[in-house]
Amino acid sequence: MELNERQKRMLEGKEGRGARKAMEILVAYGKCYLAERLIPVTSVHIAGNFPVLMDEGIEWLEDLAGEGTRVRVFTTKNPEMYDFEETDELSIPMAYQVRQNRIHNALKSLGVTLTYSCHHYLVGNVPRFGDHIAWASSGSQVFANSVIGARSNRDGDHVALAAAITGAIPGWGLHLDENRTGELVIDVGRLDLENYGPADYKALGWHLGKIVETRIPVFVNLPRDMAIEEIKGLLYTLTVTGATGLVHLVGITPEAMTAEAAFGGDPPPFPEITPSQEEVNHAYLDISSSAEEKVDMVIFGCPQCSIQEVAEIADLLGDRKVHPETRLWICTSAWVKTLCKRMGLLDSLRAGGVRVVADVGAADGPHLYLREQGVRVLAMNSARGSYYAHNLFGMDTWFGSTKECVDSAVSGRWEGRKE
Amino acid sequence: MKIKAKTVVPGIAKGEAIVSRTAISFTGGMDPETGIIREPGHELEGQSVAGKILVFPTGKGSTTGSWQFYAAFKRGHAPQGIINVKAEGVVAVSAIITKTPMVHELEENPFEYIKNGDFVTINADEGFVDIQKKEPS
Repeated sequence: MELNERQKRMLEGKEGRGARKAMEILVAYGKCYLAERLIPVTSVHIAGNFPVLMDEGIEWLEDLAGEGTRVRVFTTKNPEMYDFEETDELSIPMAYQVRQNRIHNALKSLGVTLTYSCHHYLVGNVPRFGDHIAWASSGSQVFANSVIGARSNRDGDHVALAAAITGAIPGWGLHLDENRTGELVIDVGRLDLENYGPADYKALGWHLGKIVETRIPVFVNLPRDMAIEEIKGLLYTLTVTGATGLVHLVGITPEAMTAEAAFGGDPPPFPEITPSQEEVNHAYLDISSSAEEKVDMVIFGCPQCSIQEVAEIADLLGDRKVHPETRLWICTSAWVKTLCKRMGLLDSLRAGGVRVVADVGAADGPHLYLREQGVRVLAMNSARGSYYAHNLFGMDTWFGSTKECVDSAVSGRWEGRKE
Repeated sequence: MKIKAKTVVPGIAKGEAIVSRTAISFTGGMDPETGIIREPGHELEGQSVAGKILVFPTGKGSTTGSWQFYAAFKRGHAPQGIINVKAEGVVAVSAIITKTPMVHELEENPFEYIKNGDFVTINADEGFVDIQKKEPS
């Protein structure tokens, strides 16, 4: 792989130990994928929080941040473990606070913008069409490629961090035109999509991810007026059961205004997959992992809730109150929480027994201490959140629509699909 | 027998093979405290990959997988070497930061030649995999 003078200096350690470590990662990574050069990046987003970093990861991060290593590119950060303004209210154990503070300080020292959000693209970390970026967080990465048309590989956190520090990423995979064409057609025409909501698209994504694996699928016969929450539902779930980095949604993805365009101007092949409603129904049950109908907690926000989603939950709850033995949390970013406060939603939700929690996501962060507080059965409208809550933290989960989850919070029992 | 392979991370690793025909996610899919695959329904569910030569098609799931792999490695529960059909980025960087020998794109289908319990050498310095069949018991 060709390096310019500056990059060579970094590799030789002349720009500090952190830059050298970052460049070593990128050179090894670029070699593996036969990249010819490093391409400058305009935006970076990194993902891991304490539950996945563990103590060893914190040490790695602190070592990288040592000696004044700084990022050279605008870099934002995914959610963390708890709401920084409510450590006492949430009874966050000191052991976690100590670790969270170490992560916080290491990231701050590196110059990472501490957004603690997975909808960073809603608040300023917005690449343009064709930009080269390094976004860890498999959901946002596939969103950037498929909805914005920016170019990011499925970079692990360590690669994204290295890109932030060096300002560049090996040019391979989805950074190159020739690797962005479709590999198979998925025709969703057999499904009654007019009556689909976000949860249905998540169940569909769950089913398809297993078949798609790492390939680039081209969806035909999707409604062109798909809501953004539906698009996110489909894309974010495809990367849980699969590992695709780019999805062409014909009529929506900038590079796929037609199916032919998604195949680089060639006629598209015959559809390989034509999912049925039975398969989607089966996925619904596959996502849920609980057999216990009593719900300890309903948790929204994987990815973090937008202001529109918070408003929807408030509408669905109406004048009802959350069951005394059940909790309802809405996980979001600090700025959406500020908006909620400004619009009076925070008070009305609190009166109904709902807590709006900033800086965390519903997929992983809070489960460490929630589990210690006796929370075992979760209900959520996120297939992705269900997967990680169950597999990372041993929680039992129910998956269904936003309405089913809100109703379950009120009755204290699962009100969605079972068996 | 020897099969040529492309190097992801150089080095030599020798050990007992554990083979999965399905993709693996290190976040959620593998317990870093034990090296045991914990994804419900996964074909290796309940089995440990610690100290083994792990053979699987490719990675999947969360891009935070390299943190979980690193934690498993520091605790002595990571595989000694990795053979992939196609190295996905998160698995590749997991191997890079832990200097775990890793190869991919073998000249033959690894699932036809490598079975659970075979003694496998990854020579990622020279770019090949050597398989010694398990003695029939």
